[in-house]
Amino acid sequence: LNILQLPLAGPFLRWRHVRTALQLVLLIVAAAVVLHGLFGPQLAPRNLATVLTSIHWRGLLIVALAAAGNLFCTACPMVLARDAGRRVFHPALRWPRRLRGKWIGIALLVTVLFSYELFDLWSLPRATAWLVLGYFGLAIVVDVIFSGATFCKHICPIGQFNFVASMMSPTELRVVNMDTCRSCRTVDCIKGHHTQRGCELGLFLPLKSGNLDCTLCLDCVHACPHDNIALETRTPGAELTDPGRRSGIGRLSQRIDIAALAVVFTFASLLNAFAMTSPAYAVEQRIAAILGVRSEAPVLALVFVIGLVILPGLLLGAATIASNALDRTHTPAGPKGPARLASSLRATVVRYAYALVPVGLGVWIAHYGFHLLTGIMTAGPVAQSAAIDAFGRAALGEPSWSWVGMQPGSVFPIQLGFVLLGAAGSVALVRSISRPGDASKPSLASAPWLVLVAILAATAVWILAQPMDMRAVTVLG
Amino acid sequence: MGCSSGCARNADPSDTISVTWALDPSPPVTGAPMVARLTLRDEQQRPVSGARLRLEGLMSHPGMAPVTADLAERGDGTYEAPFQFTMAGDWILLVTGDLQGGGKLRKQIEIPGVRPASSP
Repeated sequence: LNILQLPLAGPFLRWRHVRTALQLVLLIVAAAVVLHGLFGPQLAPRNLATVLTSIHWRGLLIVALAAAGNLFCTACPMVLARDAGRRVFHPALRWPRRLRGKWIGIALLVTVLFSYELFDLWSLPRATAWLVLGYFGLAIVVDVIFSGATFCKHICPIGQFNFVASMMSPTELRVVNMDTCRSCRTVDCIKGHHTQRGCELGLFLPLKSGNLDCTLCLDCVHACPHDNIALETRTPGAELTDPGRRSGIGRLSQRIDIAALAVVFTFASLLNAFAMTSPAYAVEQRIAAILGVRSEAPVLALVFVIGLVILPGLLLGAATIASNALDRTHTPAGPKGPARLASSLRATVVRYAYALVPVGLGVWIAHYGFHLLTGIMTAGPVAQSAAIDAFGRAALGEPSWSWVGMQPGSVFPIQLGFVLLGAAGSVALVRSISRPGDASKPSLASAPWLVLVAILAATAVWILAQPMDMRAVTVLG
Repeated sequence: MGCSSGCARNADPSDTISVTWALDPSPPVTGAPMVARLTLRDEQQRPVSGARLRLEGLMSHPGMAPVTADLAERGDGTYEAPFQFTMAGDWILLVTGDLQGGGKLRKQIEIPGVRPASSP
């Protein structure tokens, strides 16, 4: 199904200014977040900066990724701001080759998640506003110096998160007729033309496969003179098992940085959810006592190292070794000896790491969906209150503070459903990866990875069943 | 009656009314009924009576359901309301209302680290 051919949605998405229109909407929202964050009440539940970012933006972003596609990259207001910046400053440099890849984005993603917990950003409207401003500033500075979509492709931590999650999206931009592309001499989809730029992320549509690095900006759709690009529905996650070469990406099996991003995406989903439970606070207290510290920073850093490095390393390492041992057909290529063994282990872990993305996405949806569903109505009274702050009168009516959302207890079955759905997706991918082309008969080598998926899903259910404990801890003890 | 760590007098420079507060039992835990008790004094340390006050409990994290209660006057400038924290974590109590003879009262009380009922 080509969504660009649908009534209403099709003409809207084909409208040349669709992205700008969507970006303007989010730019206005971002302006409201910044202004209310800086000048509004510094009470998190009563400020648009904290309410809209912690409740609505995170929740709607992950729901949109799972239900439609990378819509928040489509509507990213930072790209609009940097486009404005580029009217004045023209980028002359290319992003250095040695800095390309996902490692910077991974580091920044972990930094953002760490900072969120350390500084309790959900409780700090002014800090949230400054973070948004800083994000805009960084995007503008990077992209007025470096050409293309450098910030999106190599730096933006939210973008990297979205790219991984969008591999589970049900839509993808694809070529309609490959013969048309073969006869095309202008390749406007990537080069652009005088009124429309091509893909800034270096994805050449005839060779593009999957959603990785696609911001769904629709530039290719607008640039193609042959109307040969479709936004098609597809099987979510199927691209995670695609071994083929992708434009702008290469082969997934050769991209250890993207595999690492998938692992961080998955384990961070658990860590991020765990951090807001009572057991997490008990763990922090215990670690603080062992280390003899009262500051949260070293304790939280250790929790992050355990959750994003040590545990993934142990679990994936064990699964990899067991998987290779069980794989009777496994005949690693390359030189003999330790190098060959390392190469074999690396190939296995990279191959299977992508199968963890669905369960990770399920946990992210369960977590952020919880906040969205239990607090979705809070934007109303906070906006009403902000209008009073801004205009001195109840321009949007008196705040109805009783508007909140679903009862937390009633959301748990929904959370459980998403975790199990994600786990089922990961199981399907593990089976498919273990025996390409015949997932109905997975090899024995898949067993350790199926156990790993079960462990991750069970851990997620345990975390979600824990009592929440939302603390803004700065000193332990 | 227990007295939380923030029991010291909370003088607001923009307001002539000072509010002291206490929670009973203390420290508070989730799910357990308790009483929030506020004592209002004017600049001359005289009890402030006749106020119509409302207590609203908010979590430090946005998006959580607030807990509300009307404060009943118990004499000598003291006001009480039955209250219950629904979730562990950091809470903020907002005290709002009308003072006898005009004027509004708005105070913010931070209650950090409400523990789950089962915690040691």
